[in-house]
Amino acid sequence: MLSEDANQSPRDWKNPPGESNPIASGQSQNDVFSPRFKSVAAMAGWDEEALLFATCVVDDTPDREFKHKKRSDFLFKTPPSNSRRKRRAHRRSPVSIPAAVLDLDDEETTNCETEKANAEPTTIVIEENKTGEDKLAEESSGFSSSSLPCMDKLREELSCAICLEICFEPSTTSCGHSFCRKCLRSAADKCGKRCPKCRQLISNGRSCTVNTVLWNTIQLLFPQEVEARKAAGALNSREAEHQSQVKEFNNLRNRRAQVLVSSSRDISARRIRAISSRQDEDAELHNNVRRSLRPSRVSSRDVGASSRGIPNQDEDAALALRLQREEFMEAFRGTDEQSSRSLSSARANLRAMASRAMNLRVRARHM
Amino acid sequence: MGTNSTGMMMISSSLSTSSASTSTWASTTSVSASGKRIQREMAELNMDPPPNCSAGPKGDNLYHWVATIIGPSGTPYQGGIYFLDITFPSDYPFKPPKVVFKTRIYHCNVDSTGNVSLEILKDSWSPALTITKVLLAIRSIFTNPDPYNPLVSGIALLYMTDRAKHDELAAEWTLRFAK
Repeated sequence: MLSEDANQSPRDWKNPPGESNPIASGQSQNDVFSPRFKSVAAMAGWDEEALLFATCVVDDTPDREFKHKKRSDFLFKTPPSNSRRKRRAHRRSPVSIPAAVLDLDDEETTNCETEKANAEPTTIVIEENKTGEDKLAEESSGFSSSSLPCMDKLREELSCAICLEICFEPSTTSCGHSFCRKCLRSAADKCGKRCPKCRQLISNGRSCTVNTVLWNTIQLLFPQEVEARKAAGALNSREAEHQSQVKEFNNLRNRRAQVLVSSSRDISARRIRAISSRQDEDAELHNNVRRSLRPSRVSSRDVGASSRGIPNQDEDAALALRLQREEFMEAFRGTDEQSSRSLSSARANLRAMASRAMNLRVRARHM
Repeated sequence: MGTNSTGMMMISSSLSTSSASTSTWASTTSVSASGKRIQREMAELNMDPPPNCSAGPKGDNLYHWVATIIGPSGTPYQGGIYFLDITFPSDYPFKPPKVVFKTRIYHCNVDSTGNVSLEILKDSWSPALTITKVLLAIRSIFTNPDPYNPLVSGIALLYMTDRAKHDELAAEWTLRFAK
């Protein structure tokens, strides 16, 4: 309720006492959201998602003013009033409620926006959109993990005792203790099948299943940590893959080089054989044919063979170079694709979060 | 906006890890996991140190720590400052750290080279234990020596037969080596 007071104070200050009725609006908000929902929303730091939702709505609807009016009226069931300022205040309030900490920035923007609303009503929506985005950026950069006093305790409670970080894909033992799935598996592998916390025997040390509820809760409460850990995991796997690719490439190159060398050896051997056989033929020939022609013929053939041999080797080298280059290109292209893939997956995650927030909001409205 | 920031985060983290891990390809994953955990413990120790104890890396190496324990009052070790060397294995949370006393102490569970006989540093180690808990356990054997699992049987025998003499000797050693 602290936050509501904080939000109302500028309104009181702006509006003359007779014009609006802030207490009534506060009351109606209490009625619409159940206290449990509010506490959960605050715990999950949902103002970010709510904002996301708000910006989505603004983006999607061409007749923004109309939609907003309808929504706010439906949401708060306040007696109709002709005060534009009051309506605006209502519209903004669901966005700023869940933050338990007094947000001075928000107050300021509300003030200046109410002033602007008096001056030119058409800019309101754009303004709101912009502030929404600003706030989103601000929150995603330095997430409000300190926005709740119980956050530190939650962090402690939801940390894995093995890696001491927020549980990543938590797995719960039969004795009821939760650890990261990876940590629990390594512990079972290296320290025997006992719970690291209470030393009870755990049968399912190898086939760890993720505690879905806990994992979802953690993802809601600590999105940034989870995201960072995911990125780190993706990076590690990518490094490993790259490593294996490099190894493979080296193997391939070695093999190819061997093949090239042996093949060139084969070729030259064959050539030598051919030449010698031809020389034999020549020897036979030269018994029969006139002597005068022979030296010139042999020399020309020798020159021909050697001139044929050298460009062949050059071609081999060129081919090897080209193959190397292609493989390099492939390797690099592979890493690029992977990074773009992880980026797109991050984007997809965000999109999913937004839609989840939307669903929750819709459900809450019908509650 | 959100995607941008995550992208930036990924890039920056990739830069930092690649610069750190180019030299040792094979061993990065396990070492970095233990290193991360040790760094976490260090941060926790700085934030909330246990009473009469301190610990931290010796130099640049994260895996070699030095710790101090102040002898608890009400014991013959009262007022002594005991230095300990802590060495973390590379697969740390899954294997116990090695703890060695660098200060001589007259105690049935600590031998002349400084080795400690503490069950949690051997078979009953658990990855959920931290250096803070290890230090607290060592502090507890100052107040309650375990003469039934002794490392120096002579001291254990004296502790059980003539407690006053034992305490006197221990106090003398404290004065001589730990002050």
